[in-house]
Amino acid sequence: MSDIDVRPPRKTETNGSVEYVPVTKEDVAFVGTGPVPTKPYVDEQWYEDEKEAIFRRVWLHVGRIDEVANPGDFIVREIEAVGVSLLIVRGNDGNLRAFHNVCMHRGTELVCATEGTARSFSCPYHKWTYANTGELRGVPDNGNFFDLDKTKFPLMEVALDVCAGFVFVNLDRHPKQTLREYLGTWADSLEGLNIDVSDVFSEYVYDVDANWKVAYDNFQEIYHGRFVHPRSIGRSTMAPENPFGYPTKYTFREENLHRSKTLWNNPHFTPDGPIEALASELTRAGMAKGPVSGAKRPSTEHYYIFPNITVLSSPLYTFTQTIWPLGPARCRSVIRMYWTGADKNASTRFAREYRMAALLDIHSEDRDIIEAAQKGLSSRALDTVLFQVHEVTCRHFAAAVDRYVTDYRAEVAAKRSGEAL
Amino acid sequence: MSGENRLPEGFGELERFAGQWAIETSDERKKARIRSTPEERQAFYEAATPLAARGLAYLDTIPLDTWDEPAQELMRILLSLAHISLAVEKQGDEEAHHAINHAHFTITRSTETAATTG
Repeated sequence: MSDIDVRPPRKTETNGSVEYVPVTKEDVAFVGTGPVPTKPYVDEQWYEDEKEAIFRRVWLHVGRIDEVANPGDFIVREIEAVGVSLLIVRGNDGNLRAFHNVCMHRGTELVCATEGTARSFSCPYHKWTYANTGELRGVPDNGNFFDLDKTKFPLMEVALDVCAGFVFVNLDRHPKQTLREYLGTWADSLEGLNIDVSDVFSEYVYDVDANWKVAYDNFQEIYHGRFVHPRSIGRSTMAPENPFGYPTKYTFREENLHRSKTLWNNPHFTPDGPIEALASELTRAGMAKGPVSGAKRPSTEHYYIFPNITVLSSPLYTFTQTIWPLGPARCRSVIRMYWTGADKNASTRFAREYRMAALLDIHSEDRDIIEAAQKGLSSRALDTVLFQVHEVTCRHFAAAVDRYVTDYRAEVAAKRSGEAL
Repeated sequence: MSGENRLPEGFGELERFAGQWAIETSDERKKARIRSTPEERQAFYEAATPLAARGLAYLDTIPLDTWDEPAQELMRILLSLAHISLAVEKQGDEEAHHAINHAHFTITRSTETAATTG
């Protein structure tokens, strides 16, 4: 049973490549067709409410299982928007847990390192010491506390679960859904990438002066590709039959949080130069051996996991981009490309370096246009913006954000009126 | 130069580029790209491109963790070529503008470091 709709379910295979069949207005009109308010992209109170309504309540992707593979392995992740620091650690019992990175004595930040391996963690302030499973083990001068029962003060645990090797946490003390329930059929999509076997990744990071949703929207739509990426993407996804490089398919239902699109790859693309040709040949050879691969299908799948993750799996590589709010008009983007196994030889290393640098070029082309988009929105000249058929992903995302913030505001209002009675 | 070969035999033509392009980390290679002039990129690209496939094939014959210094140096040059080829083959005249955005990016992890530390 599937809870997602496929619009349109049309795709014809010709000689192993996908013939381009355009998505139409009728296909996507069910998400809405009217102008969309700009307030969520510029309003500071809206941003404050998003932090509570979304980032403190939904499942957030914070790392990979290979970063915490062995007992004692830990990573510390900051969720800057809500000022939370998380200690994610595999205990000596083999279980992976997330804790608030906070000492139970007086709330001091427990671990300053960003990653490492440890049997126990000691607070730098008064040396309260915790096992890597979270139990409070040592309290100096224990006798001077008032009936302190150490078993009642383990580190404060945060809900954690894993899908396809992606580690997710939920800051809600009582998450309303399990990770599986939250992801729905997208859990199957992510697992279908076989990415759980990836144990190596490349990573780069950049900050943008833009609301996190303005940045996210840029990666949801392809309309800008022809104008912003003629050099880096160019003919690889654009051709006379599909001059804008539009996707062949969008997958979501109106009520979904997540969505995906299927990108069209130009079957007649030829590399721009000898080094691109060499890198592509070496990547394909490497991908054929490694299971992190879309090499068996000609299309590229792009998944959008609410609120801030994109997962793209192409015939040549798989990467995620996670966009973290840093303020109402500032965000940080973390890109990771996933590989299987350490570099086997010079060719593998070269192909991976090339792929990372080539992807970085695409994101680099986007950066100033995202800031320009924010600058114009922040001027408050416009109350609404327009989305066309192939910006339906942005429209669908805006609706999901709106549902969360509206529900949260109603909840706060109900609580206030309850207190007033 | 001391006269000693910095690169494996057969790759002497690349010696003159080692100073600028034999770079240790991905992030430093990225930075070297945006610091370089169009002429430097073009000269390096033209000299290194015809040797790239042969260079990788040569290095592939030696287990990666037993590379001597000249082999490592050749790898570093070829990894820089990966970055520079994007400027030459893809960005062309737009590279100067592209570099302004590029400067905001930091490569925080590469498979090279994963291989040596992991």
